[in-house]
Amino acid sequence: MAEAMVKLSGIQKSFGALEVLKGVNLEVAKGEVVCILGPSGSGKSTLLRCVNLLEPPEQGEIFLEGHDICKGPGSGTGEQSWELNFVRQRVGMVFQQFNLFPHKTVVENVTMAPREVLGKSREEAEAKAKELLERVGLGDKFDQYPERLSGGQQQRVAIARALAMEPRVMLFDEVTSALDPELVKEVLDTMRELAEEGMTMLVVTHEIGFAREVGDQVVFMDGGVIVEQGKPAAVLDDPREERTKQFLGLVLER
Amino acid sequence: MQEFINQFFDVGFMLDHFDEVLEGFWVNLQLFAIAAVIALLWGLVLALLRQIPGRPAKPIRGLTIAYIDVFRAVPLLILILAFGLGIPSLDFLPKALRLPQWFGKPDSFWLGCLALVVTYGAYMAEVYRAGIEAIPGGQMEAARSLGMSHFQSMRNVIVPQAVRKVPAPMLNELIALLKDTTLVSVIALNEVIQTATDIQTKTFNSSALTLGSLMFLVIILPLARVVDRMIARNQSRVTRGSHIEVA
Repeated sequence: MAEAMVKLSGIQKSFGALEVLKGVNLEVAKGEVVCILGPSGSGKSTLLRCVNLLEPPEQGEIFLEGHDICKGPGSGTGEQSWELNFVRQRVGMVFQQFNLFPHKTVVENVTMAPREVLGKSREEAEAKAKELLERVGLGDKFDQYPERLSGGQQQRVAIARALAMEPRVMLFDEVTSALDPELVKEVLDTMRELAEEGMTMLVVTHEIGFAREVGDQVVFMDGGVIVEQGKPAAVLDDPREERTKQFLGLVLER
Repeated sequence: MQEFINQFFDVGFMLDHFDEVLEGFWVNLQLFAIAAVIALLWGLVLALLRQIPGRPAKPIRGLTIAYIDVFRAVPLLILILAFGLGIPSLDFLPKALRLPQWFGKPDSFWLGCLALVVTYGAYMAEVYRAGIEAIPGGQMEAARSLGMSHFQSMRNVIVPQAVRKVPAPMLNELIALLKDTTLVSVIALNEVIQTATDIQTKTFNSSALTLGSLMFLVIILPLARVVDRMIARNQSRVTRGSHIEVA
């Protein structure tokens, strides 16, 4: 196998006395879509936040395209060190609560980081933003403020905003969990298109259907460890572990 | 009773001394305007210094917190006396700083201004802080995850939203600042109180002080209504479920 896009090895993270991640290993190949399932409190969101160092791990190694991103000067402190810029410009993240900037228009949301961080001109950044917003089906919402958009539209703007930094990897943290049911599909469709275009994606989700259809690999986490992982069909239809069966039973029952 | 009314509410007396008192009040307004602009900026700087993350910045945060705590605790009157009487005697300073006479204003004006800025900067830093801390943490996370530095995130994302949340409490600070400009009378600045007490000493009539108070009322009462309206407007936005106002 070619060099992994993201490789996690022995990731450990605690919040105070609570050990949230107890040594997690995971490899994600370029262009692969990995869906992470698990009950709340299983550590799946924390794992995602470790990958872009929003939560720097206490132990373990994270390789991004072969670079050890926990080993830079000031490593592990998570502040102002070289690896932050390296990582955050290569890893895009989309959040459950969208986190659009409410005082900025849609286009300003998308162009802010490219202009500030990459030093792009306004025209250049706006041209790219237009292209991305059209791609997520929001070409007509250019000058709107986020509060005028539906949740699904806001989340698609958030995806465009992350893509504007031209990331190599995208992280999705329960991006449909805060949406009304009828708005979930438009966001999942956008993600599916992104996957088809070859984006490397780590997706924390409760959407079993999405994981089955789009995922190349499904990971089931519980209690801070990976309980089971493999092809979607294997993990979802024929789980080996008791804990996985239990969880899937509860989720699919709904 | 009649004596009391004559002493404080002699309308004819007020009219006779109106120009003099107004001239004094004009000094208060100038002092207020200059101190307000500088304190609003200084307060924001303090609030931002307090928010710098990471272990290396710990001393900066500590010093900032100490500054804010100390200058909110020291009575402003003492500070005005200390600056007004103390700084002119610091003979290692150049004369232009010890006895500043910029723009034709006496040194008591500028040293009083300094005391007001030092104190109100600390108060206003706390107002900004409340505004900054009211912004959901996801905003900073989103900004940082896009690759922006802490400073870039503050400037583009957090501060613009935070300042939209503070006008009402900030206006309260500004009203207090306007009234506290009268304290600079203790270092012999010819502002409204100094002028009025001079008149009182000469004439044994206190109505000039009442007139000075009326001038404050004329300016401040409408501002109090503005504060009410701002709070009401904010409230209605909150109940509509939008947590920030947009243009």
